[in-house]
Amino acid sequence: MLVRTLRCPNLTIVEERPPVDVDEVDLEFIEMIKKAGGPNIQSCYQCGTCSGSCPAGARTNYLVRGIIRKALLGLKNEVITAPELWYCTTCYMCTDRCPQDVKPTDVIKAIRNVAVAEGHMLKSHQDTAKKVMESGHAVPLDKDTWSELRKKSGLEPLPPNGSSSPKVAQEIRKIAKKSGFDKLIGYTEEPPAAEKKEK
Amino acid sequence: MLERRVGVFLCHCGSNIAGVVDIPRLMDTIKKIDGVVHVEDYKYVCSRPGQQIIHDAVKDKRLDRIVIGSCSPRMHEVTFRQTMRDSGLNPFLLEIANLREQCSWIHSNDPKAATEKAIDLVRMAVARAKLLEALDEPVFEVKKATLIIGGGIAGISAALDLANAGFKVYLVEKEPSIGGKMSRWDKTFPTLDCASCILTPRMAEVGSHPNIEMLTLSQVEKVEGFVGNFEVTVRQKPRYVDVKKCTSCDDCTKVCPVDVPAEFDANLAYRRAIHIPFAQAVPSAYVLDMKNCLGVDTIRCGKCKEKCEPGAINYDDHERILKLQTGTIIVATGFEIFDATKKEEYGYGEFPNVVNLAEVERMLSAGGPTQGHVVRPSDLKEPRRIVYIQCVGSRDERTNRYCSRVCCMTAIKQARMLRDKTGAEIFLFYIDLRTFGKGYEEFYESTAAAGVTFIRGRVGEILQDDTTMNLTVRGEDTLLGKPMQLDDVDLVVLSTGVVPPASAKDVARILNLSQSPDGFLLEAHPKLRPVDSFNDGIFVAGMAQGPKDIPDTVAQAKAAASGAMALMGKGRITVEPYYSVVDEDRCSGCRLCVSLCPYNAITIEKNGRAHVNPAVCKGCGTCSSACAASAITSQHYTDGQIAAMVEEYLSAR
Repeated sequence: MLVRTLRCPNLTIVEERPPVDVDEVDLEFIEMIKKAGGPNIQSCYQCGTCSGSCPAGARTNYLVRGIIRKALLGLKNEVITAPELWYCTTCYMCTDRCPQDVKPTDVIKAIRNVAVAEGHMLKSHQDTAKKVMESGHAVPLDKDTWSELRKKSGLEPLPPNGSSSPKVAQEIRKIAKKSGFDKLIGYTEEPPAAEKKEK
Repeated sequence: MLERRVGVFLCHCGSNIAGVVDIPRLMDTIKKIDGVVHVEDYKYVCSRPGQQIIHDAVKDKRLDRIVIGSCSPRMHEVTFRQTMRDSGLNPFLLEIANLREQCSWIHSNDPKAATEKAIDLVRMAVARAKLLEALDEPVFEVKKATLIIGGGIAGISAALDLANAGFKVYLVEKEPSIGGKMSRWDKTFPTLDCASCILTPRMAEVGSHPNIEMLTLSQVEKVEGFVGNFEVTVRQKPRYVDVKKCTSCDDCTKVCPVDVPAEFDANLAYRRAIHIPFAQAVPSAYVLDMKNCLGVDTIRCGKCKEKCEPGAINYDDHERILKLQTGTIIVATGFEIFDATKKEEYGYGEFPNVVNLAEVERMLSAGGPTQGHVVRPSDLKEPRRIVYIQCVGSRDERTNRYCSRVCCMTAIKQARMLRDKTGAEIFLFYIDLRTFGKGYEEFYESTAAAGVTFIRGRVGEILQDDTTMNLTVRGEDTLLGKPMQLDDVDLVVLSTGVVPPASAKDVARILNLSQSPDGFLLEAHPKLRPVDSFNDGIFVAGMAQGPKDIPDTVAQAKAAASGAMALMGKGRITVEPYYSVVDEDRCSGCRLCVSLCPYNAITIEKNGRAHVNPAVCKGCGTCSSACAASAITSQHYTDGQIAAMVEEYLSAR
């Protein structure tokens, strides 16, 4: 268990780093992660194979092992509010190599689910989700240059999917509303008229 | 039915039983049972005064059947049987009701129900006790010879102990020489004394010991019989060289035109078709590998025979089948190194400069392929930057879950030797360092002080620069929480773990032994019977039982030898009479029991009737329950005794 060390008033001139605060620990967090898709998280022995294999971690401050360590300690708030949580590209290299079958990618995804449910999501991910709501596609054809390019290639300006059929997006919005996905990503439907005016 | 005089003794076991079970109520109920003439309780029945109570009651009340309500019979049945003997009763007229493990301990939260259950258990025990019969314990002679399978350091140590104690030893080894894995290793941790220097004198001792018969190139094919009287069939492959005539002059290898990768040198060098595995081999004789020999006649080759002055080479040598008779068996079949090609991210087998621990051991050895110089296999240059990776094929859900126990210290030892010899830069990636033995932790500390860098983290991947053959190692320093990338690494050594040999399955089948889930041979009890197998008279020692270092291996070998000596020294054994007996008048000789018996204890005799060998039978009852004519009875567990218990339980109190 974690032990809180006594904290003295500032005694030095160096910047103080507070110890782990036991009051911050949420032991329910592990159970939440296990339920949300990371059942093997407690098998982790912190060997670092995941972070040593991670292409995202090689160039950012994303550290899979570190996130799992904090999660195992129950430092929920620290884990779900950190932007690094969203730096995983889900390449599954760590899951391929983890000797304890922790499936780190799934653990990260499970933690993201917990984070989103509590209102924490990186803006770019939020924007992508909103694009799905608006157009039916995570990467919509929303630039004129693309339809020009299609025309040049002898194709219809818009492909026969959500891009040419606004009904698709409507249906997705319906599903999102029914499943609560819209609330999860903080999406509020703007009136279509206003949307047109803006454009 | 004869009127029995049953005495019931109830043990409190301190508060273990009495703290849960209502003993006075139990006693009141038991007293009313027909045939129970005496009921008594005591704090510890197993103690000397407790046993005295039984002794006295048997005399005073003329008891002829005893029931004890106490701990499991696995704990104190032996004790109480002796009390029976001392009181003048046959030890098999005793029945124990398990009131602790199967009652008070598991129902401690419900004392009322526990008391009810205790009453039922004792009632059933009394019902059975009334039907118990006096039985004799058969005695068998134990042959004063031991078969040892495997001639590594475990087999050698056990063989010498037994042989020095005066027992005959047959040491069976599948390779052309004894010595096992230890003979391939260079130095031993933590003292850095050379493995050969301490091993080869013992090998020579085995070779010349009058009580040891060494059978190399041999494998055990069949084991029949039972403790004290095993009949062993051994198949010995031909050597094509007469051990007695061969002078190890080495003339033959000079003319042999065939080069074959040398197994003894981890395939890092070549040997000839006719060869000696290593200089100090025992027996000190060459061996002809007929698979790779060009031909044994003068048209195809035949050079070695022509050259051999003492005339030791015999192309007409043939396989031999040997029959041995032994009283005990020690299994010391050792281990194999984990095949690192299974961990693809480390590139073993693909990148020439990624090697394993066994290969480095051969390179470190002065008698090895590089005369003691560790080199990069790609260009034979001395490596300046070396990385060790721990737990390859160990502590891994995908390969082996167990810790191999020897790789930490082997890697530290090699790193230390390389650092001291060449001054190379060495990084050792580990998850946890397990330096548990005597002097091991000190050795680790001094290795760190010698300049070897220890990094806590498991390596994620290894990449190769295909022009320089240099390696890039990627991992994380988990103590810093930062990714680590080491470029221009000359040599990566994988700390490959140990695995049971491929032959472990066959050994288990031939000797009727069990394997633990990891594939190693299972001991009878992890603490109290660590070198016994479930099969009486058969012992397991060394790596065959599980990963362990040389000190532990030798300790086990000596333990196994002493176990074998305990049986053979006495010269005879008593067997519990829990065997089946056949009523010949009822047996039709249908052979159903023969086909079902898991211990091969039943044979059909000349008179066409089944016969159970009491020494082999374990009293499992398979035969008696299958016999259509009810001709087989399991002694001490008869149908009548079991039915009486069931009947008692179901009848109203």
